[in-house]
Amino acid sequence: MAGLSFDNHQRNQFLSAKGFGSPKATSTGTTIVGVKFEGGVVIAADTRATSGPIVADKNCEKLHRLSPTIWCAGAGTAADTEMVTQLIGSNLELHAMSTERKPRVVTALTMLKQHLFKYQGHIGAYLIVGGVDPTGAHLFSIHAHGSTDIGFYQSLGSGSLAAMAVLESNWKEGLTKEEAMKLCTEAIEAGIWNDLGSGSNVDLCVMEVGKDAQLYRNYLKPNVREAKVKSYKFARGTTAVLKESIYNLVDIEETVVPMEVDTEA
Amino acid sequence: MNGINVDINHLKKGEVNLGTSIMAVKFDGGVILGADSRTTTGAYIANRVTDKLTQVHGTVWCCRSGSAADTQAVADIVKYHLELYEAQHGAPPTTKIAASLFQELCYNNKDALTAGIICAGYDDKEKGAIYSIPIGGSIHKQEYAIAGSGSTFIYGYCNKNFKSNMTRDETVEFIKTSLSQAIKWDGSSGGVIRMVVLTASGVERLVFYPEDYVNA
Amino acid sequence: MSSIGTGYDLSNAIFSPDGRNFQVEYASKAVENAGTSIGIKCRDGVVLAVEKIQTSKLLVAGRNKRIQSIDRHIGVAYSGIIPDGRHFVNRGRDEAQSFKSLYKDPIKVPNLIDRVGLYVQNYTCANSVRPFGINAIVGGVDDDGAHLYMIEPSGVYWGYCGTAIGKGRQTAKAELEKLDLPNISVKDGVKEAARIIYLAHEDNKDKEFELEISWVSQSETGGRHEFIPQELFDAAVQYAQEEDDDEEEEDEDVEVQ
Repeated sequence: MAGLSFDNHQRNQFLSAKGFGSPKATSTGTTIVGVKFEGGVVIAADTRATSGPIVADKNCEKLHRLSPTIWCAGAGTAADTEMVTQLIGSNLELHAMSTERKPRVVTALTMLKQHLFKYQGHIGAYLIVGGVDPTGAHLFSIHAHGSTDIGFYQSLGSGSLAAMAVLESNWKEGLTKEEAMKLCTEAIEAGIWNDLGSGSNVDLCVMEVGKDAQLYRNYLKPNVREAKVKSYKFARGTTAVLKESIYNLVDIEETVVPMEVDTEA
Repeated sequence: MNGINVDINHLKKGEVNLGTSIMAVKFDGGVILGADSRTTTGAYIANRVTDKLTQVHGTVWCCRSGSAADTQAVADIVKYHLELYEAQHGAPPTTKIAASLFQELCYNNKDALTAGIICAGYDDKEKGAIYSIPIGGSIHKQEYAIAGSGSTFIYGYCNKNFKSNMTRDETVEFIKTSLSQAIKWDGSSGGVIRMVVLTASGVERLVFYPEDYVNA
Repeated sequence: MSSIGTGYDLSNAIFSPDGRNFQVEYASKAVENAGTSIGIKCRDGVVLAVEKIQTSKLLVAGRNKRIQSIDRHIGVAYSGIIPDGRHFVNRGRDEAQSFKSLYKDPIKVPNLIDRVGLYVQNYTCANSVRPFGINAIVGGVDDDGAHLYMIEPSGVYWGYCGTAIGKGRQTAKAELEKLDLPNISVKDGVKEAARIIYLAHEDNKDKEFELEISWVSQSETGGRHEFIPQELFDAAVQYAQEEDDDEEEEDEDVEVQ
């Protein structure tokens, strides 16, 4: 039904009257970016996965492969970005086989946006799609409701504001591959340091025209956990044994039967 | 359920919005479409260089306002129909036919869509033509059309300053000054002013940066 | 009919070994002995005319029309099994309306004939149906000018300057070829149509007939398909009968010589 639903209002009032907090909406944090350069495109992501206030995974993968030369960074609901990316990746491969052509980035974009639009935003996938195909290098972003944007640089996720601040101040025309990789890394770092929903490492994927895509998993690890100076293990015998009792619940019987072995052979 | 339902035609939570200033104006040689370039999600500018002027076929274009996802989907469907139309008829579709398709989609799916569209184009039969298709799915043929959140600020200006059969340059100036005012007073509009000139000789694109239009 | 008894004429869904669909060919037989219909494409429009054989004296004169409109700007005249023609016209109307409801513009004649052609063709593919027992002449005007088509039971259709179907088609075609088509005016086209139908009726002289003439033209009817006005009809009939008499006289002269 169109419009706002207040169905949960009574339930929430009841819960707070009983002294429970009303349920909070869970927001999923991420920083993802993409930058074009002369002859290619770079996409990058942080590696923190959260569920509510908990860091669920310190080194997850947010860079997904749609085809060997088209990759996709995902923000939003982790399960949705993973599944939608696998589905479209699969359909893209079937499409490439039946047309006997290399898949194009716009094809991936169209398939993703039509799928997401069909689900009216209920599939919470926010994606940055980058890649190379016979028509050149491309960079797009897609929102969960199915709208798409095109640009030389993109950022998405809860850390997108921090990342965009870096992109807006440091991006220039005609970047080299190395400059684009550096810019992406710095933008993700801005998310890692300044956004609570983002953290840990930087993953990066470089797609160059006429070459295989290069995935740099953990391209930067600015959050390596220090080894502990002291050991906090308790020595054996720290806990006193007060009583010991052993029960024989099963009787075990072993029987040895000699076998004849033919030694002639 | 015993809950209360308030039916307001509002964007879904987190949906990308084209809080917009768009317009299209007929002139002696055809038609010119104009738009700002701001896309917002809540208070954040998701894209400051958006292209809200979308080609649906040759010299038939549209200006999009409302939900970005909805208007892109609708424009894609119309584009598909017009491509099919040309294949079946061996002749390009007229602006009227494109506008009629937009209207049909916007009316039949009015409960699911937030889309305010201006369809404008040049064809041999009608020359320049402009059709405004606001949110409920009605259709209005106009000499010029304005739409989007920023348009409210320039109804008076456009009404006073629009003249039939202006030259191309006069029309570009008219759109530039109109949209500069819309951008000035509307917080959801901004960025650059994009224009598309549609005439017998084809398509011409124009961009005006803030320094070009702020004192226009 | 050499094919009789081979079994290949029992179904639409089976080709004969030499690649023919006999059911479709039989459908054409239904047209061959029917009343003559003609279509004339003129400089400024199209004229349709039919020789409507009177099967009973009790039928009301001027009713039971055999020329119908598919849309305001498209007319159709058919010969053959009349209910099949009615069904054909209904489908044409559906197509024209569906076009108009989607595009808010009248359908163009070539597009209309494309669509009904596809529909008629469908009746030659399935075992559960029989082909249309009609030939239909479809004429109309649109932004691109006047159009005239004739469609057959197989679904094939051709564009014509002048066309004739039914029993008197040979006579009619011979007459049509003598006209300077499509460079005559619709007004002249109406007179010629009446004359040709009267002439074609010679082949079927023992039966009474009623003449129907319609036209569609930008200049004469504002782009609408209509039956011609009574005074024009009367003038055309008079012209047709005079010509008819002249020809008979000529014939007599020949006999005298």
